[in-house]
Amino acid sequence: MDEEKMEKLRIQLQQLLNETQEFVQKIPPMQLYAAIGVVISTIFLFLIIRLFKRKSSNTIVLTGLSGSGKTVLFYQLRDGSSHLGTVTSMEPNEGTFVLHSETTKQKGKIKPVHIVDVPGHSRLRPKLDEFLPQAAGIVFVVDAVEFLPNVRAASEYLYDILTKASVVKKKIPLLLLCNKVDKVTAHTKDFIRKQLEKEIEKLRASRTALSSADITNEYTLGVPGEAFAFHQCYNKVMVAEASGLTGDTSQLEQFIREYVKA
Amino acid sequence: MLEQLLIFTRGGLILWTCKELGNALRGSPIDTLIRSCLLEERSGAASYNYDAPGASYTLKWTFHNELGLVFVAVYQRILHLLYVDDLLSMVKQEFSEIYDPKRTSYDDFDNIFQQLKKEAEARAEEMKKSKQVGKPVNNQLGRKQGQVQNGIADGGNKKKSGGESGNDGRDGDKFRGRPLENGNLNNNHVGKGEVPATGNANGKENGTSNTGAFDVNKLQKLRSKGGKKTETVVNKVSKAVAEPKKKITKKNRVWDDSPPESKLDFTDPVSENGEQNISAVVAADQGESMMDKEEIISSDSESEEEDTGKDNKTDTRKKGWFSSMFQSIAGKSNLEKSDLEPALKALKDRLMTKNVAEEIAEKLCESVAASLEGKRLASFTRISSTVQAAMEDALVRILTPRRSIDILRDVHSAKEHGKPYVVVFVGVNGVGKSTNLAKVAYWLLQHNINVMMAACDTFRSGAVEQLRTHARRLQIPIFEKGYEKDPAIVAKEAIQEASRNGSDVVLVDTAGRMQDNEPLMRALSKLIYVNNPDLVLFVGEALVGNDAVDQLSKFNQKLGDLSPSPNPRLIDGILLTKFDTIDDKVGAALSMVYISGAPVMFVGCGQSYTDLKKLNVKSIVKTLLK
Repeated sequence: MDEEKMEKLRIQLQQLLNETQEFVQKIPPMQLYAAIGVVISTIFLFLIIRLFKRKSSNTIVLTGLSGSGKTVLFYQLRDGSSHLGTVTSMEPNEGTFVLHSETTKQKGKIKPVHIVDVPGHSRLRPKLDEFLPQAAGIVFVVDAVEFLPNVRAASEYLYDILTKASVVKKKIPLLLLCNKVDKVTAHTKDFIRKQLEKEIEKLRASRTALSSADITNEYTLGVPGEAFAFHQCYNKVMVAEASGLTGDTSQLEQFIREYVKA
Repeated sequence: MLEQLLIFTRGGLILWTCKELGNALRGSPIDTLIRSCLLEERSGAASYNYDAPGASYTLKWTFHNELGLVFVAVYQRILHLLYVDDLLSMVKQEFSEIYDPKRTSYDDFDNIFQQLKKEAEARAEEMKKSKQVGKPVNNQLGRKQGQVQNGIADGGNKKKSGGESGNDGRDGDKFRGRPLENGNLNNNHVGKGEVPATGNANGKENGTSNTGAFDVNKLQKLRSKGGKKTETVVNKVSKAVAEPKKKITKKNRVWDDSPPESKLDFTDPVSENGEQNISAVVAADQGESMMDKEEIISSDSESEEEDTGKDNKTDTRKKGWFSSMFQSIAGKSNLEKSDLEPALKALKDRLMTKNVAEEIAEKLCESVAASLEGKRLASFTRISSTVQAAMEDALVRILTPRRSIDILRDVHSAKEHGKPYVVVFVGVNGVGKSTNLAKVAYWLLQHNINVMMAACDTFRSGAVEQLRTHARRLQIPIFEKGYEKDPAIVAKEAIQEASRNGSDVVLVDTAGRMQDNEPLMRALSKLIYVNNPDLVLFVGEALVGNDAVDQLSKFNQKLGDLSPSPNPRLIDGILLTKFDTIDDKVGAALSMVYISGAPVMFVGCGQSYTDLKKLNVKSIVKTLLK
């Protein structure tokens, strides 16, 4: 029975083929070539657009603990001032704009940057995963004044980010931004960097076989046997200082422009 | 007078504050409101009380969900302003007309605000006058939970902490004799009864605004209460539940023709220094504890859809299919509460079939409703799918732990300080404390940590032997003192022993006790106060239903009230047991986390040593909403 069916199918296919051949031969050749040409060029265009999109993402993600000053920095970058102040964010702030300091420079058309400010509250952590895949760079904001009481939480968060698959595979560069340096009691960026390295070293030891509630640390950091240091990461990690309230964001903007070409 | 009125976006930028009320707020009430109320899915509550040194405020808020704005009014708690709710809604209306996402300064709103404020105050004055003349204001609003509240119709439902009941100036002359039962967080009573015919328009106490269950406000207040012993002045008209009036002491059960009582304690006399392990038993090695195995999350793609989720998948609700399809294509303008009702009710029923406690489901639905009201439906979405997405968001947010639950890290840092890390297991009878204590010990042993057990269950027969058997199998030291000893002292000595013999972790087993057994709860709080453990783990079984709410809230309350210290230790984490016995009725996890704010640190899913897991938030949420 099956054999018969196969035969029938084959005959039908043959017939279809013949019919199409006749049909095609009836069309004048010019039209045919034109049609094929259009199809090929559209496919080509799609491929080109895809390639371009992948190459240059213009998204920068601002993240960090709650209260470190991300929303203030976001508004500084956008408007040059933080207006009447901020409260704990409940939702991310997104915007695509030309950095405020660059609106004065008229070097022709400057490409706008897409900046996302993700809330730092621990309950809203999952929101970060929505934005990380498209990020061209991550800015991890740290409060340089209230650093030591929060060093554990900050290092855990940073560790989680540095071991996410999307960050490691795409080698997304990370800027460790020490905020609130206008205050007298702010720590220096070297101190902060060293403390974070020490804490992450401790985390490495206790997290080797463990996976936290629903975030799996897919990669481990650093070189086994050596103390952890930021330059061991696959992705580039830099340290800089800034002050959201006074508007001193030059190092931050440098980082942004380095990875999102103007 | 109003202290402050703020308008800010959900993203955190303050758009407008009232400039003439220039007093700076003490402490940071707004941030605390956001962190402990709005982000905890308690936005259905009527108001929030904030205490800071030197100030105590009440905050009221309202949302404009479509534009993503929050309006918050702050005022002193001792004042009872009636017009706040009114004012907030009027401000919301006016502001949404001039709101523009690009604008960041709204100075012209100042004048409008002044007007609105005057109007609202005037209206409140009128109402006060009319009420004082007229009839008694005995609005008995029947609440769903069957608790009756006194309400003033126009708002001003404020909750007043009983601690100030004597101090309130306004009330002082009128209602000295109407103290509220303070420590009773269930708020089952209302100060009614003697409601005056003079219709006291302000300063009336309403027992509950948050009905029933445990209040996170109170939780924080408990923490900051400065040694103020609460007077449990019982209200005459106190309704049902809670505290037993007399102390119930345990008497030995006497059967009819019983032989004379002989000594029933069959334990071997133990040496002072606890027993070192002389095992003839082979040490238990059953492989890797499930804590360290990674969860295989099935269908990852589905979870991603849920993340991006506007266009939703298979919603099997058949109700009003045609009209809902039509609406979904047309994209109905703003969502009203009445539209959300059927979808929310269905969702609430679904949650309850999954064993979520009834009042928790209720509160969650209110909170989700508050966050969706007034929002514009995107086209090609149905109301039910929007509600579902919002509920899922809320559930993930609640179940995500607020602080790190990395115990190994804590153990290491305690080790560095040279002190043993103390964990106390508390819970009601028969939930699996001793079994899960052994599982936790096994897990810790696998990570090369020295564990010691402390047998502070000195009441139940066989408890010490049970632990001794576990200790022998695991080959770890156990500190025991037999039966009929004071558990607090046993625990203290165990900790001293641990620091002497170099154990990193001490796991303290306590006797099971019911949450309304006063003397036992007192003993427990004494144990915790004396030993100051690093982690107080509440063990609850996943089979529990509505009682979870009662258990956890009473435990927390008693630990707070009966502790002699100014900063009482409350429950830090939850251990969910018997998870393998529930198929997909995982709601107990949600109830417990919501009511206490503590994260679920472990999940026990069987009776052997390896049956200990971590809570997988995504799969729980998926199961709850299936």
